[in-house]
Amino acid sequence: MLDTEKLSVTEKSILEKIKTVIDPEVEVNIVDLGLIYEVHHYEEEKKIHIVMTLSARGCPVGDTIIRHVETVVKAFLPDYETEVELTWEPQWTPEMITPEGKAFLNM
Amino acid sequence: MQAGLSTKNAPSPSVVLPHYAAGAIFFLTASVLLFFTSGDLANSYIGPKVLSVTHILVLGWITMIIFGALYQLIPVVMEVKLFSEVLAHISLYTLMSGTVLLSYSFWNSYIGETIFMQTGGTLILVSVILFVINTLFSALKTKQRTYENAFIVSSVFWLLLTVSLGIFITLNLVFNFVPKSNIDLLPVHFHIGITGWFMMLVTGVASTLLPMFFIAHKLNRRLLKISFYLTNIGLIAISLNLYFGKNTVITITSALVLLSGIILFVKYNYDAYKKRLRKKLDIGMKLSVLAFVLLFLSVIFGIFSALKLDILSDFSTRIKSLYGVSMVLGFLTSIILGQMYKTLPFIVWLKMYQDKVGKFKTPMPAHLYGEKTANLHYYSFIIAFITIFIGILIKEKLLIEISAAFFIITAGLFTFNTFKILFHKEKTEPLK
Repeated sequence: MLDTEKLSVTEKSILEKIKTVIDPEVEVNIVDLGLIYEVHHYEEEKKIHIVMTLSARGCPVGDTIIRHVETVVKAFLPDYETEVELTWEPQWTPEMITPEGKAFLNM
Repeated sequence: MQAGLSTKNAPSPSVVLPHYAAGAIFFLTASVLLFFTSGDLANSYIGPKVLSVTHILVLGWITMIIFGALYQLIPVVMEVKLFSEVLAHISLYTLMSGTVLLSYSFWNSYIGETIFMQTGGTLILVSVILFVINTLFSALKTKQRTYENAFIVSSVFWLLLTVSLGIFITLNLVFNFVPKSNIDLLPVHFHIGITGWFMMLVTGVASTLLPMFFIAHKLNRRLLKISFYLTNIGLIAISLNLYFGKNTVITITSALVLLSGIILFVKYNYDAYKKRLRKKLDIGMKLSVLAFVLLFLSVIFGIFSALKLDILSDFSTRIKSLYGVSMVLGFLTSIILGQMYKTLPFIVWLKMYQDKVGKFKTPMPAHLYGEKTANLHYYSFIIAFITIFIGILIKEKLLIEISAAFFIITAGLFTFNTFKILFHKEKTEPLK
């Protein structure tokens, strides 16, 4: 879903920071789980916009994961406004897991 | 709030957590009393002491944890806030006190017109009515019209019916409303309670949570839809047939309809298990998978019990006991043990760490309990179940006593872990 090749250097750094956010159920970081769909860095507006999903609707720790993403991005770029948007389209599927995530999960 | 997120809907932990504490204590109490019931259980399934232990298990242990877990899970599965936390608090205390009075009354053979039995039963009825109001008014607000939710809502109706029938049985002993003996009415009470309340509820909750915990996708949801209709129709037919007269053809047909519904539910969750993302099962999921094996055993004995085959007539009492034991102490206990590990650590973890993630290094929910302790009670539970099963089968009191000892170990270790989670002290470290 997320094409890292198209990301700017700053957006790639943001993604690296988001990798510190671990899904507490499967204990894999949410980037390798494929939950991050888009990362946008708008220099002029001083804004970071992240579009992400969760592995299931009604995930009991969903709110915490989103807040965790906001926290790590804000800590990395404190002068920017950070917006994390939750989407259910397209629905997440295990095919979205990165090769690193699949290796960790022995898939 | 973002749609599909449940954390902000979650009730105060003070509503949910006492249910887990009380449930663990009741399980430990029932295990200790089981030791002193071994002689009765070897011979009958409706002796006063057996009924006492049964009611502690189904009300104090299983229903207690289900109430607590549902108050947390309703926001998850229905994406709404709980209708009333005050009602949930009152329901907790009436269920606790009602269970103590009722089981005390059974233990001392005080059945029928006694203050303990009637007060206990009334308190439980109040608790259940408040729970039903809370669940139904929460369900009315939901936009999630799924079959998982339909199972939960229908289970609540069956719960109200079984508790009302339980009270009716005790009052009928005194006032003779209908010319039926409690021996005729008890099977209806039992089947509605076990299949209508527990089975329907477990189907709804498990079909929501297990695929979520397995992180399994692309499941055939038609299985759940058909299962919903088959289990409800089968149970209505069985209950009416048991009450109005036991027609063998209707018994077999309705048992087959019910069984088909259960098989579809199992198939749905087995598909989730096969498609699971995380191959290695943690203790919560190991116990949940074990529960399905025990459900299979329970269904086998349920069928034998319903068929009343002449060839098995000498074993009739034992078959009924094994059906009840494999359902209550097997399937339901195993799934409750397992799902405690999938819910309570998350609830406590969220309460303690949701504002700290990303700012500090925090433990994971699985770090809140002793894994070795949990694994130990996984094996002690298996030993306890196998020994009680054989003990009843061959009517051996000593084996039931040994089983009770292993149930005490299981409940003791489980209670230790429950309280370890409940009294978890915050542990944070600075981020590197």
